[in-house]
Amino acid sequence: MYSQSDYYDAEYDDYPAQDSYDEYELQNNYYQTNTIPEVVKNFLLYLYESIQKCDVYNIQNLYENSFPKLSETYFEKKEWPDEKEVAELVDKDDLFMTLYKELYFRHIHARIQGGPQFEQRVASFYNYCEFFNIIFLQKPEDLELPDIWLWELVDEFVYQFQNYTQYRARLSDKTDDEIEKLAEPSNTRVWNILCLLNVLHSLVDMSNIKQQLEATAKGEDPNSVAGEHGSLSLYKMLGYFSLVGLLRVHSLLGDYHLAIKILEPIDISKKSQYTLVPACQISTSYYVGFAYMMMRRYSDAIRTFTSILLYIQRTKQLYISRSYQNDQINKQTEQMYHLLAICLVLHPQCIDESIQQMLREKNYNDNMYKMQCGDLEVFRNFFIFACPKFVSPCPPPFDAQDDYVKEPLEHQTQVFIDEVKQQLELPTIRSYLKLYTTLPLSKLASFMDKNERNGERDHDRAVAKLSTQLLCFKHKMNNVVCTKGSGLEGKFQSGSELDFYIDNNMIHIADTKVSHRYGDFFIRKILKFEDLNRRLKKVYP
Amino acid sequence: MATKMITTDDGTTMTIPEMLKSIERYNPKHFPFLEKYVQEQAKENTYDLDANLAVLKFYQFNPHMMNLPITQLILLKAITNLPFSDFVLCKYLLLPVQMRDDTVKEIIYIADILEQCDFVLFWQHVQNKDKNELFEKITGFYDSIRKFVCHVVGTTFQTIDKVYLSRLLGNIDDKQLTQWVKKNNWTLSGDLVTIIKQEETIKTKHISEKIDFESLGGLMANCIN
Repeated sequence: MYSQSDYYDAEYDDYPAQDSYDEYELQNNYYQTNTIPEVVKNFLLYLYESIQKCDVYNIQNLYENSFPKLSETYFEKKEWPDEKEVAELVDKDDLFMTLYKELYFRHIHARIQGGPQFEQRVASFYNYCEFFNIIFLQKPEDLELPDIWLWELVDEFVYQFQNYTQYRARLSDKTDDEIEKLAEPSNTRVWNILCLLNVLHSLVDMSNIKQQLEATAKGEDPNSVAGEHGSLSLYKMLGYFSLVGLLRVHSLLGDYHLAIKILEPIDISKKSQYTLVPACQISTSYYVGFAYMMMRRYSDAIRTFTSILLYIQRTKQLYISRSYQNDQINKQTEQMYHLLAICLVLHPQCIDESIQQMLREKNYNDNMYKMQCGDLEVFRNFFIFACPKFVSPCPPPFDAQDDYVKEPLEHQTQVFIDEVKQQLELPTIRSYLKLYTTLPLSKLASFMDKNERNGERDHDRAVAKLSTQLLCFKHKMNNVVCTKGSGLEGKFQSGSELDFYIDNNMIHIADTKVSHRYGDFFIRKILKFEDLNRRLKKVYP
Repeated sequence: MATKMITTDDGTTMTIPEMLKSIERYNPKHFPFLEKYVQEQAKENTYDLDANLAVLKFYQFNPHMMNLPITQLILLKAITNLPFSDFVLCKYLLLPVQMRDDTVKEIIYIADILEQCDFVLFWQHVQNKDKNELFEKITGFYDSIRKFVCHVVGTTFQTIDKVYLSRLLGNIDDKQLTQWVKKNNWTLSGDLVTIIKQEETIKTKHISEKIDFESLGGLMANCIN
C-alpha cells in the first residue's frame, strides 16, 4: 500500500460519497439563488484565461492582489461562490476547478468564524488529492504557477493537516453525531499522516530536487540530474517547498532529528533561486532554529535566528503591503525573538548589535533576567508562546470524553522544561565566574552554598556539589555546531561567551571582552546629520 | 552492520539505510527488521540513532504495535551515546503510555542524573539497587558511561585529583584507572592526573570593532565636497 503508484490510483475515486454531499449543499442553498457579482466573475474568467496562457506575471498579480482584495470586499465572512456556479464559467475545466476549490477552502479556513465544518475539511482533503493526482498522473507540462502560490499551497496543505488533527483531538465540544462521523472507518484516512508524507515525499522524489540541490552545491549543472519533470519550474518548486513542508511536519511530531535531516541538501544561509519567497525563507528558519534548540544545539539555533531576524529587518518594506502574508510573518518574527531569548539565557553569546538592540527595545530583558534566576514559569510561557502547534498523528480514542488536543504540547513542553531544569544552576555559577580570572573551587563553593556552614563536612559536600555542577556546565555548553555543508552533522564546540578550566583546585576563567563600538555609533549619527542637512537645504535653498 | 543485506518476506533484499529512505521509512513490512536491529545493537555494542528514531516514530503512528522492552533498549542505547543529545531526541517521541512505564521512568531518571554529570550519584544508584539486570541488556553499558565521563573531564580539567577521577569512573581500582588514563593519552604523576594543557585553548577573547572601508568611504568622500 506504500508504493507510489497505488496512492494516486483509484483509491480516492470513490469519493464523493453522495449523502454527505447533499447535506452540505443544503447548508449552502444561499448561493444557488445568488448570482456571482460581476467583478468576481471577471476576475475568475481572467484568472482562468491567464492560467491557460501560462501568463505567470498576471496570475501572480491576480493571486496576490486581486484575490485578497475581492475576498475582503465581497466575502469577508462568507464563502466564495459555490463550485458548481464557477464550473459553468470555465467550461468545467478540472485543473482550474481544483485550483479554485483550493482557494475556496483556504478562504474558509482563514475567514469563516467557527472554522470549517467537518464536511468541508473532508472535501478540502479530497480536493488536494485530486490536485496532486493531476500533478502525478497527468503530468501537465504546460501548467505554470507563481512560486508564491505553490509555496502557499504546500504550506496550506500541511496547515490543514495540523488543523484537522487538532480538531479531531478536541472531543469535548463535539456532539455524539460528530464523533461518530469522525470515527467512521472511511473517514479515518482523511488527513491521514501517511497520505501527507506520501504526497510530500513523492513531490520530492519526482522533482529530483535533492539531487539538483546537491549538484548546485558541488558547482555542477542541476539540470543534468533534474530529469523530465525536475527541469520544469512547477515540479522543481513543488519539490523544494515539500522539503520545507516535511521539515514542518516532522517538527510538529517532535522528530527534530529527521526534521533537520530532511533539509540536509539545503544550505539555508545561502541565497538562491529557491529563496525568493520571503514567507518560505522565514518559515524554514523558524522550524530549523526551533529544531536546533530542541536538540540542544543552541549555537546553531542562535545563528539561524539572528540571521533570519536581520533579513526580516532589512526586507520588511518589501512585503509590508500584503497584509495576509504580513500577519504570519509578524507572528513568526515575534516567536523567534522569544526563542532567541531562551537560547541566549541558556547559552549566552555575542550576537549582532541591532538584534541585541531589538531585544532591549521590545522589553525582553526583564524576562530574560527572570529566566537567568531560574524562573521556570517564564521559560514555560515563552516556550508555549513560541513553539509550533504540536500534533499527535493518531486519532484519539473516540469513546473518551476528554480532550486530547493538548497532550502533544504538554509532552514537548515537559521534556523541554526537564532539560532546562538540568541546567538551572548554571547562570548563577556563570555570574560568579564572570567576576574573576582565577577562583579557588572552595571559595566559589562557599558562594554557592546558601545554607549556614557548620563545619568541614558541609564544606566538603558543597565543593563536591560544585564540582558536579562545573562538569555539567561544561557538558551543556559544549554544543554540536555545524561545520560545513551538512545541517545535521557537526563538531563539539564551546561557543558560549564564558569558558573555564580547572587546574587541580583552581578555576581559570576565560571571558569574552567586547570593546565598545564607537565607529558604528558615529557613522549612524553622521549619516543622520547629513540627511538633516540635506533636508534643511531643500527647505531653505 | 548497517550495510548487511536483509531479505524481506517478498524476497527482495534491502539494507537498513534503504529501509529508512524517504517513504520506505513508514513501510510496516520493514518494521520487524528494524525492531530486530535494535536488539542487535544492544547485543553487539553498535549504534544507529536514525534507525532507532524510526522505530519510535512507528510506535507513534501505530500505538497498538508499541513494544515496551524495545522502547527501553532504545532509551538505554541513547544514554550510551552521551555527550550527544540522543536521549532527549528519543524522549520527545515517547507516547504517554510509554512515559507511564516504571522502567522507562527509571531510565529517564538515570539519564537525568547523567545529564547533570552527577556521576558519583549514578554509580551509587546502580550499585545500591538491583539495577544490573536492566543495564546488562546493553553490552558495554558501563564502559560507555566511563567514556562519557572521560569526555567531560577532558574538557573541564587541566589536572585532576586521582582519587576523585576514579570515583567519577565508578570507584575503579588503580589498574583500571591506569588503563583509562592511557586510553585518553593522559599522564599520571603522583596523586594528580594531567589531562591536557587547557590554557592554550581556553583563553580570554577580545572582540574589537572593525570598520570596513565601504561603510566609511562614502562619508569621507562627502567631507571633501
